[in-house]
Amino acid sequence: MKKKVLLMGASGSGKTSMRSLIFSNNPASLTSRLGATIDVEQNHVRFLGDLILNLWDCGGQDAFMDTYLSTQRATIFQHVGVLIYVFDVGAHERTQDLSYFRDCLDALRKYSPDARVFLLLHKMDLVALSDRPAMLARRREELEGESSGQGVSATVFGTSIYDESLYKAWSRIVHAIIPNAAVLTKHLTTFAEACSATEVILFERTTFLVIATSSLQFPPFASPKNGAVVGNGGELTTPSAAETLHALDGTRYERTSELIKALKHSCSRLREEFSALEMELPECTAVLSEMTRNTYVLVIVHDPTIETAAIRINIRLARSKFEELQSDTIFTR
Amino acid sequence: MAPAVATAAAPPSTNVKPDSLQRSKILLLGQRRSGKTSIHRVLFDNTAPNETFYLEPTTRIEKHIYDTVIPLEIWDCPGSTSPESLGTPFSEFAVIVFVIDISNPMYQQAIKQLVDFAIAAYEESPETPFEVFVHKVDVYSDDYKLENFKQITQRVNDELFDLQMEHIQLNFQATSCYDHTIYDAFSRVIQKLIEALPYIEDLLNVFCANAQASKAFLFDIRSRLYVATDASPVDAGTHSLCCDYIKMLTAFRPLYASAIATPARITPPSRSSSTLPSRAPSAPPPFSPSAALALAQGTTLTFHQATPALALLALLPSAVYEARRGLLEYNVVFLREGVQEIVNVEREARGGT
Repeated sequence: MKKKVLLMGASGSGKTSMRSLIFSNNPASLTSRLGATIDVEQNHVRFLGDLILNLWDCGGQDAFMDTYLSTQRATIFQHVGVLIYVFDVGAHERTQDLSYFRDCLDALRKYSPDARVFLLLHKMDLVALSDRPAMLARRREELEGESSGQGVSATVFGTSIYDESLYKAWSRIVHAIIPNAAVLTKHLTTFAEACSATEVILFERTTFLVIATSSLQFPPFASPKNGAVVGNGGELTTPSAAETLHALDGTRYERTSELIKALKHSCSRLREEFSALEMELPECTAVLSEMTRNTYVLVIVHDPTIETAAIRINIRLARSKFEELQSDTIFTR
Repeated sequence: MAPAVATAAAPPSTNVKPDSLQRSKILLLGQRRSGKTSIHRVLFDNTAPNETFYLEPTTRIEKHIYDTVIPLEIWDCPGSTSPESLGTPFSEFAVIVFVIDISNPMYQQAIKQLVDFAIAAYEESPETPFEVFVHKVDVYSDDYKLENFKQITQRVNDELFDLQMEHIQLNFQATSCYDHTIYDAFSRVIQKLIEALPYIEDLLNVFCANAQASKAFLFDIRSRLYVATDASPVDAGTHSLCCDYIKMLTAFRPLYASAIATPARITPPSRSSSTLPSRAPSAPPPFSPSAALALAQGTTLTFHQATPALALLALLPSAVYEARRGLLEYNVVFLREGVQEIVNVEREARGGT
């Protein structure tokens, strides 16, 4: 199955940089070497085996934008699965930017009315840390107003290639593309229970974007079943209760993607390839290992009596099931 | 002697608590904006290299303490310091580091200051090692880097030759805050200060032989400097992977810290209904964090915390790690005990408790 992803936005807003970071494993420091994209650069990225992302990186210079919106209008905006529109947060020329954006939404509504729209307020690192939330809220409101005016509902993210925010946005984007991610969540939760794990996270192999996560399990000594800690009624049986009990870092998924990506890059400098990682830390036991041909799984365990070797065996045993599941999720749609 | 002496002689500045410990002093010298404070911040305060751009100039000598295998005291000097205005005899210092900015085309002045210090230090205390960091090499591509580095070392040596001081030994290293080179260079500086280094190196050599490891480092976790390594040569790629690995582990730890499960993990509650055979009354050995990074071509990079501040990193065949994990852990226990003992002896010898 193919999904067409349009990557659009003004020239120099950072489209090719983020593509090189997410899909080509390049570090942020090397993006300054990238030249301007001429016309459209098409990429096929194999994602989860049978799902192919057909990535259209559209050069953002005015001359190109005008052709996309006139002569190439049908070619560009047909069969679009996802439109990602990138705004440079530090750009001065905003009216021009917004008018192109409006025209693109208009074309999209005509040729691919079912397409999902994601808006990235990019280069957030240029805004002082203390001003970011206010800035993001203001621009989000403005852009959401703009899109709903065109009858399109869009999701807005603030991103930067220098921190984990880019992984957060892209993980949400691929989550929208993957058919039946809920089924994966259900099976990951079963797997987490089998491992006595607190949480299990599934990553795509090359991009290390989060595909699906299990629902959070109760801590080993506070399980509602044995009633050790739970005292206030049955309300603690919901997953959100486990969430409150654990109070894990809210940015953990995207931070993990970023950290593993960086580690993979250091391995490649040694002409080596990252294969697996296991950690026994004071905070938790964690095993990161290959799950299927195109995914990695991270198992987080807090019970100190669980050995990493046991988790590894469980992963090995679950592999065939997940291979099967993965091809299922893609073909049943 | 000028007012600067008053500053230096004034009660110990900002960051130093008076303690009885005898610290090894590192003197950081160099022209203004050559990167002295940046080096200190990046290595010991975990500042991101690109944030050091905004640092204020240092206006008086700042003394920073840092505890690793040995207790350190790092003196960060303003660029205007001269041998006369330093106000402390050179023999007080365990090592002198001079930072020279390779990207500054006016390095003639820096070379003059460097030569002045080298001669003054040699005359007062010929035994004190004198290190030169040719810094900010990241601004040049590889070819230019080497050419400029050679040019600077040549200039300094010519200058010393003209003054008939060519017997002074200076050790030059090309460094940059943006990659592992500063970590490597400063690691080598610290190793010169550790008297017990041969013993730690022996421990690592024995470990390598027993565990079939091709390389082993003892790293200071917080600063990511290696305080010792085995006898095999240090390969830049492996070293930088080790640095990044420690960085990743340190950043990963807080992400999955659970408010309720983590404390229970560190001190597990006694469970009467436990299926485990009851342990001997003596307390179980304290938990020490460990990790293993498997690489695709059949090697594994292990991490074992040795003391609260130090960690052993070893590169060994994955087959050995998989098949003889128990034996490996056994060897690690011996190394851990040895290192702990050396650290204790060092501390005692310096008047600590």
